[in-house]
Amino acid sequence: MDLYLPIAELSVNVFVFLAMGAAVGFLSGMFGVGGGFLITPLLIFSGIPSAVAVGTGAAQTVASSVSGAIAQYRRNNVDVKMGFLLLMGGIVGAIIGVQVVKLLRQIGQFDLFISLAYVFFLGSIGTLMMIESLNAVRRSFSANQATTAIRRSHHNWIHGLPLKMRFHRSRLYISAIPPVMIGAFVGLLGAIMGVGGGFIMVPAMIYLLRMRTGLVIGTSLFQILFVTAATTVLQTTQNYNVDIVLALILMVGGVIGAQFGAVAGEKLKGEQLRFLLAGLVILVCLRMGWDLVVMPTELFSISGITGGSH
Amino acid sequence: MGLRELNESVRVWWTEVRASEVGRIFTVRNIALAVAAVLIVLAIAFSWPKSEKAPQPKSPSESAAKAPAKPQPAPETQPKAKSEPGTITTTPPLATAPARRGTSVGRETVEADVSTRSVSITSNFSGTEIVVFGAVDDSHQETAEAGIYDVVVVVEGTQVPLVARRKSNVAGIWINTESVKFERVPSYYAIASTRPIEEIADERVLRTQQIGFTHVPMMPDPTTKSQLKEKELEQFRDAVIRLKKDDGLFIKKPYGVAFIGKALFRTSIDLPANVPVGPLTTKVYLFRDGSLLADYEAHVTLQREGMEAFLHSFAFDRPFLYGLFAVFLAVTAGLAASAFFRRRGGAH
Repeated sequence: MDLYLPIAELSVNVFVFLAMGAAVGFLSGMFGVGGGFLITPLLIFSGIPSAVAVGTGAAQTVASSVSGAIAQYRRNNVDVKMGFLLLMGGIVGAIIGVQVVKLLRQIGQFDLFISLAYVFFLGSIGTLMMIESLNAVRRSFSANQATTAIRRSHHNWIHGLPLKMRFHRSRLYISAIPPVMIGAFVGLLGAIMGVGGGFIMVPAMIYLLRMRTGLVIGTSLFQILFVTAATTVLQTTQNYNVDIVLALILMVGGVIGAQFGAVAGEKLKGEQLRFLLAGLVILVCLRMGWDLVVMPTELFSISGITGGSH
Repeated sequence: MGLRELNESVRVWWTEVRASEVGRIFTVRNIALAVAAVLIVLAIAFSWPKSEKAPQPKSPSESAAKAPAKPQPAPETQPKAKSEPGTITTTPPLATAPARRGTSVGRETVEADVSTRSVSITSNFSGTEIVVFGAVDDSHQETAEAGIYDVVVVVEGTQVPLVARRKSNVAGIWINTESVKFERVPSYYAIASTRPIEEIADERVLRTQQIGFTHVPMMPDPTTKSQLKEKELEQFRDAVIRLKKDDGLFIKKPYGVAFIGKALFRTSIDLPANVPVGPLTTKVYLFRDGSLLADYEAHVTLQREGMEAFLHSFAFDRPFLYGLFAVFLAVTAGLAASAFFRRRGGAH
């Protein structure tokens, strides 16, 4: 069944994109990740203009983070004050990011930029995860279960910053600058790459802000929900690149796939999952990088004045 | 079950990671991020196109950026009269035309029309076909096969500005380096004829009438024109034609027009699924012995309809509300999914 997408201005096969949404939903359910970093490249590979892929990715992330955020809030796993600071930073980052998207589309470098961003972030994070999971697998084989004490030095450079605030929920007394900066960076990435940004924010909150893991998950979901919602609105007003029809198809496929993915994920061990996820991340990275380094069959491209690449 | 569980698995995922392990990773990651930022800045600096030194956000392109990127359909503003067949214009025989025999000199005219005056793009639009048919008035042709007349049918979309870019290898990476901005390029151009147009008339006639891909008006923007050699410009122009052909937006059917009787002819023109929305102009040219006898113009409107028109104008006319609606839809979908799967007890 073909459906004409109003914003992408293409006729696509609904089942192909339902399947794509379901596949990514399966993987995100299995690995417990947002899936934005998978759906956006897949959309680009399948011929959706990259700007539309990014805008639609943001809308889809809203759908996949909303119920998680509410559940975490109910379990009192959200540090609202911290979340609010992250959110403020995130919205500033998103505003800048959307403008960056607009500018890059005008000068015709958006495709390049998004490929570089993906290659870089997926490459580095995939590699680190791969190393970590291999080490974990090796350790579990050698049966050395001695857990090293958590290094949690209470004083790092973060504590030297001004504007200190007390975060009761997280039992922290730190400067407001790092949360805002982290939020802004993640918001910027979200707008440019069409991702939620949990893969950056979660480690940053754990190791820079020294927050408890449980709180980190809840608070980051809270931030991701609102920032991706804000990004969606910003993208529609600035770049007109959110395709509701496409987003809806992906969401439907995604939520169904996620159910089966979660079941499959329970059958695998944590380090196996992380190893597989790392492999997947690296594959996407390589696929993106391949297009950058291999001589394209067609050196020319045409586009309208604001973008919408071909 | 649902995204709640999905989220639960995130939590498990992270709590399972022993803090010391990730702590070690994170320092590496931290360094990597810093290197990344530097690399990306360098990459952008590298990739900045030389031919567009000043992105001039305040130039006309800014206003173009504000306005929707696509040609506006504006279905209501399309005057009704425009979809009526145009007027007959008899072109006086060109002075350079070869001498014509017989009594028919300059007497024939052509009339034509299009099967569908208004094509609507709806949610299930996957391309369509329009039939252009017409007749030669005062035909001196005995049979359809006589081949005295040549008919060329050109269907042209609106002329829009377009940027063509060329990639080149910079430090091992293929990036857009040169670009040419064309002020007006037809968004769609289909040409059907009784035989290849080169056989129908000579270069000069085709050029004056702007028939054929190579004669499509494609003026580069004055600012980029001066910076490029004519030969390079030609490459860009060829590339635009080639890419438009690949997209199915430039179509050539050298034997697409067929005479059915001594006066009647018809052709079908494909409108692919990606045809840009906007009015189409259909021009029919009647040739005999290499000279243009008459031409005729008809119009086709191509507009979004139904859900398609609604969503598109929603997105471009009320972008803020559209954005809120998209968020609302996403939130509803997420909540509905989690509620549904929770009630079912999950897929455990």
